[in-house]
Amino acid sequence: MADFIRNPVVALPDPNPEPHFSEKQLSFTEEEKARIAGWVRQYPTSDGAVMWTLWLAQEKFGFLPPEVLQLVAAELSLPYAQVYGVATFYTQYFKEKKGTFVLDVCTCFSCQFCGGYDILAYLEEKLEVKRGHTSACGRYTLQEVECLGACGSAPMMQVNNGPYAHNLTPEKVDELLEALEAGKSLPFVSITLPQDEDEMGGNRRTDAESVENYVTPPRSERTQ
Amino acid sequence: MTKAGNWKSYERVLLPPVKNLHHLDVYRAGGGYETLHKVVKELEPQEVTAEMKRSGLRGRGGAGFPTGLKWSFMPPVKPEVPRYLCCNADESEPGTFKDRQLMEYNPHLLFEGILIACYAMSLKACYLYVRGEYASWITHMEDELEKVYDAKLAGKNMLGTNHSMDIILHKGAGAYICGEETSLMESLEGKRAYPRIKPPFPAQSGIWGYPTTINNVETLACAPLILDRGADWFAAIGAEKNPGPLLYGISGHVNRPGVYEYPTGMLITDLLEIAGGMRGNKKLKAVVPGGASVPVLRADMIEGVTMDVDSLREAGSMLGTAGMLFLDEDTDMVAFLRRVAHFYHHESCGQCTPCREGTGWMENLITRIDDGEGNLRDLDLLLDLCDQMEGRTVCALADAAAWPVRNTIKRFREDFERQCRPAVWAVNA
Ligand SMILES: Cc1cc2nc3c(=O)[nH]c(=O)nc-3n(C[C@H](O)[C@H](O)[C@H](O)COP(=O)(O)O)c2cc1C
Ligand code: SF4
Ligand code: FES
Repeated sequence: MADFIRNPVVALPDPNPEPHFSEKQLSFTEEEKARIAGWVRQYPTSDGAVMWTLWLAQEKFGFLPPEVLQLVAAELSLPYAQVYGVATFYTQYFKEKKGTFVLDVCTCFSCQFCGGYDILAYLEEKLEVKRGHTSACGRYTLQEVECLGACGSAPMMQVNNGPYAHNLTPEKVDELLEALEAGKSLPFVSITLPQDEDEMGGNRRTDAESVENYVTPPRSERTQ
Repeated sequence: MTKAGNWKSYERVLLPPVKNLHHLDVYRAGGGYETLHKVVKELEPQEVTAEMKRSGLRGRGGAGFPTGLKWSFMPPVKPEVPRYLCCNADESEPGTFKDRQLMEYNPHLLFEGILIACYAMSLKACYLYVRGEYASWITHMEDELEKVYDAKLAGKNMLGTNHSMDIILHKGAGAYICGEETSLMESLEGKRAYPRIKPPFPAQSGIWGYPTTINNVETLACAPLILDRGADWFAAIGAEKNPGPLLYGISGHVNRPGVYEYPTGMLITDLLEIAGGMRGNKKLKAVVPGGASVPVLRADMIEGVTMDVDSLREAGSMLGTAGMLFLDEDTDMVAFLRRVAHFYHHESCGQCTPCREGTGWMENLITRIDDGEGNLRDLDLLLDLCDQMEGRTVCALADAAAWPVRNTIKRFREDFERQCRPAVWAVNA
């Protein structure tokens, strides 16, 4: 009867995991501490700063193993359980090590019908990695994500939780991967509004690269 | 004449055609922040709320609640009780991308709107909750916000008065449910974003238990326009019961997808034409008029339907966020619904059993049908599942998952039946 207690259906987290970072690595610099203190001041209690601090920690350590969560909890004087709870609720916090480049391809419905799955399949083939996994070389993590709020320029993807790449085609994906391999950072791309193109002859933002091509590539047989 | 009036000569106000409007100096050169000046110096807070009420503005976040009314729900000011505004920029409804464009091109209109709302409700601070995926836009807004503070348009003793208002950016981390108002508040408090049971409503007990008002980005961006040009001007734009400018996010199989600004009450057929018509001259099959949660409309159901709350309700759908998805004749509606069900299963927070389990079963059943292994009775099982989920949960996500499933099956039943195994096996086949 009580078998499920000894053999739970859901895998419980390892109580004593092997740490990924040494004691020495596990600390925030004075500058980082000042930033965290700045966030804490913006909320009535230090709880509110958890999300910002986790973002900072993820930027610094790359992902959020238990010992990093401990560090965040200690810095904000919060229970570890609360920080663990927050970190595991949101998809953008990485609980395990990811590749150098995390490619989030949107396959939600607008992108689905404009070729999101084509792009995903193309990347799977090209990088030799299955969706949801990291390539053997450890450079690429390929993920399928929900709507990223750029459905007008579908199919699209986000790189390393940062810049968006719009109106993707296999050629554009190749270019993008080449740029990443060459260590370039991707530009901020501003999508031209169709009405702007008619009324102003182009994009309204001059400080961003603009995309003027609205016509998304046709959906191929693979898109289902 | 449609409800949208003479939309061909409509001049955009939310996204006016001005280059580099996202820079503070460009925005101010066009008269930006003057409305805020006028409001803070000349009007009483109650007058601002009254003007908002008179304008007839309805929230653009999906629920369509009258904004002026919402503002008037805030309890009387007590100096010892802090009160807050939340701006909901967690736009994650599939098919919706208008808030991002607004934050990209006209962030100061949003900031001005936030400050006006803070003044109208005597608030000291606004949390601007932006979804984590919009990291680039958060950085851009941080820069502009700094300039706003430097120009003393916000912060302590803003505009040389004795008012103090802060705009605080909060970065989410990828959860659709954070768009739900009470869930957003839990998230702001640094907890797992489980929606709360209502009542108490946010105006009584919001973030950290203090009175809170929550509004969508586009809603707040309308405030400076209303206070600048008057409620009558606003009320005269578009559909009578749901007036104002509206950002239509058009995506899918159209030639020119993107965000379009027009009055409310545009004919869906007109919008399709504006967006360049269907790609490859194909026929229209279905329209989702307001994000994934709203019931899908068949092509033969959109004749004469306009984009406002009443017309769409009559047609059997909802305005939602006005993120419109057009699908062409080759679209596989089973694959469509499978993806929508997957979305809700993935995004359910797991607090209520009907939602957590129901969305999972929905996805399983539709996947089975899509794989050609479904039975006809699975369709009825799905419809029954929708009944079991609706109205039995803490938040509206379960309803939002049930509506598209029920209506897609009802309206495209043939497509589903074709994918299912026949009910009666042919003898000697
Ligand atoms: C599951 C769910 C998701 C929601 N997501 C969003 C969202 O992403 N953005 C938004 O503005 N409102 C969203 N809403 C609506 C909000 O709860 C709330 O009604 C809205 O922000 C109020 O603003 P308004 O009055 O200006 O429309 C969502 C509601 C539900 C039930
Ligand atoms: S309805 Fe779903 S998303 Fe909403 S609180 Fe319940 S489980 Fe969470
Ligand atoms: S569906 Fe892909 S960005 Fe919205």
